[in-house]
Amino acid sequence: MEIILLFAMVVGFMLIGVPIAVSLGLSSIFFLLMFSDTSLASIAQTLYQAMEGHATLLAIPFFILASSFMSTGGVAKRIIRFAIACVGHLPGGLAIAGVFACMLFAALSGSSPATVVAIGSIVIAAMRQVGYSKDFAAGVICNAGTLGILIPPSIVMVVYASATDVSVGRMFLAGVIPGLLAGFMLMATILVIAIVKNLPKGEWQGWGEIWESFRDAFWGLMLITIIMVGLYGVPGITSGIFTPTEAAAVAAVYAFFVANFIYRDMGPLQNDSGNVALWRRPQSVLTSFFHADTRATLFEAGKLTITLMFIIANALILKHVLTDEQIPQKITESMLGAGLGMITFLIIVNVILLIGGQFMEPSGLILIVAPLVFPIAIELGVDPIHLGIIMVVNMEIGMITPPVGLNLFVTSGVAGMPIMRVVRASLPFLAVLFVFLIMVTYIPILSTWLPTSVMGPETIIK
Amino acid sequence: MSANYAPQTAFGRAINLFEETAIAIILGLMTLLTFANVVMRYVFNSSIFWGFEFTLSLFAWLVLFGMSYAVKVTAHLGVDAVIMMFPNTTRRVFALVAAALCIVYAFLLLKGAWDYWAPFAGFQQTGGRWFPEGFIKTRDQGWYETETIPMPDWLRFIEGSFNQGEAYGKLPRFIPYFMLPFGSALLLFRFVQAGYEIIRGKRESLIVSHEAEDAIKDVSHMNAED
Repeated sequence: MEIILLFAMVVGFMLIGVPIAVSLGLSSIFFLLMFSDTSLASIAQTLYQAMEGHATLLAIPFFILASSFMSTGGVAKRIIRFAIACVGHLPGGLAIAGVFACMLFAALSGSSPATVVAIGSIVIAAMRQVGYSKDFAAGVICNAGTLGILIPPSIVMVVYASATDVSVGRMFLAGVIPGLLAGFMLMATILVIAIVKNLPKGEWQGWGEIWESFRDAFWGLMLITIIMVGLYGVPGITSGIFTPTEAAAVAAVYAFFVANFIYRDMGPLQNDSGNVALWRRPQSVLTSFFHADTRATLFEAGKLTITLMFIIANALILKHVLTDEQIPQKITESMLGAGLGMITFLIIVNVILLIGGQFMEPSGLILIVAPLVFPIAIELGVDPIHLGIIMVVNMEIGMITPPVGLNLFVTSGVAGMPIMRVVRASLPFLAVLFVFLIMVTYIPILSTWLPTSVMGPETIIK
Repeated sequence: MSANYAPQTAFGRAINLFEETAIAIILGLMTLLTFANVVMRYVFNSSIFWGFEFTLSLFAWLVLFGMSYAVKVTAHLGVDAVIMMFPNTTRRVFALVAAALCIVYAFLLLKGAWDYWAPFAGFQQTGGRWFPEGFIKTRDQGWYETETIPMPDWLRFIEGSFNQGEAYGKLPRFIPYFMLPFGSALLLFRFVQAGYEIIRGKRESLIVSHEAEDAIKDVSHMNAED
């Protein structure tokens, strides 16, 4: 009974505009002070240990930093150029290129709103120029942007891995096939609509343009290779080289290097009338570390880390409460006692996350829901990796499900459209993603095949 | 840098510069240390043995120091879908209640943070469960050290007051833990300040709905017309 009070407080605080982090933390503190003998000191300790005691979560600031360097480094426009060169000539080509660009950008960044802003602002404008309606453009980008948290590297997956003690490497691999599948399903839908409605197609610009644009985007796309090879090694030659945290730090340093010295869209070699070659200003090898742009990027990434980690740390206090009160065990017993089957269980998980995903920042939500449903899943024989992917996909779709999905708001801001218009525009593609959700939920092999074949079968500890 | 915040006075600008630079430097140090350790391992076959623990402490410092800054510039994430449906006056009431709850949170956190940190620095914990009711006798744990971080020689002057004159082999724990009460105190200060600004009508809420809000303002002109 008390536990209902706890969740009522969390939701109530959140809805009147208390920051998510404080809603989680304050409700837990009230609960602990009223119903247990935990001291405030140990709550403060939990908050500190959220950072100091979780080496896995340390990957988050580094991934955020890597993607900040990449997006200030102008990688978005290079990726879009490459995407247009590849698929722009198909019917509805620019829209398909938009989805493709979102998929590529998602592989560099771990956040859906960031993907919508970076790709959406450019692609929506370009699509309107060649005669697409703004609604169609916004609908496409709003949906494709959600791939940000499904295609690795993904911050949400790092959080899930840390909450349930599964391997980050496995989670990343598990996201690859579903991520590609979702992208292709969206592209195929656009293709069909485009043929039926006779939407504009672009010119085929030849293999030369593909090669040129690929060479230009190559340094950005290399980031994915570095992370993947670092984590899993080269098949047949080496095993994994880095831990996920190290891979993230290496990616951040690499992205800094690319942004400053190769793309030169920021830092000491940046110049509005054409970028300066390194040999003209060799001292920039040192000055780039202290350049105002570097400081600004570090600061922006730091700010985002702070707001995310503050939520995560407070969600950990709540998790602490739940474990102390043995809530997961109680729920598991009553659910299994009521004869819950695997299919009903998965539907319940879907519904909880779809609703929660509309309001809550995904990382915080996963930290609260994962400990509740994880033990039930294990009892019912659901694969932990599969469960993780289901949770990520659910939150992805929660972000674009009316009435309050987060990505709807972001798109409405980027496209300058009222929210209801965005909702209507994105509905057809939302239907596609729903089909995708059902596939991911009930076909576990989509998520488990790749990690199992690369890293061997996993051991599940009950 | 944040669209919602511009410091008004020279002092405000100096503090802002300090906060932003500190956030940037801490994150930069964390990244370089972790990267350096990878290089050390593969190139020199050794490692900076204290690097990992130090990075994790910096991580804690980053978040605990930065949480108050995020209040100042209104960067904390929240849900505004519901409050937006209400008229202005109701929204103001919500904002005031939210600010009051945040102040309670920061206050309880500060008491907890002090009680946790105090023994490590040889101070007294506060009594009382919710509200500090004077100090209570606490066993001095000033001798507690971190596991790997070396004690820098220039810091040895603290041994007299914190470790009864005995030499520290490693950095004592109360130094990394210090950010806990310090950050909580700053958080309390910023929430009180934010509450005051809401009363004065200078601020509308404590939250943004997503992390890309600033970025949207930068690009919204690109698709403004139909």
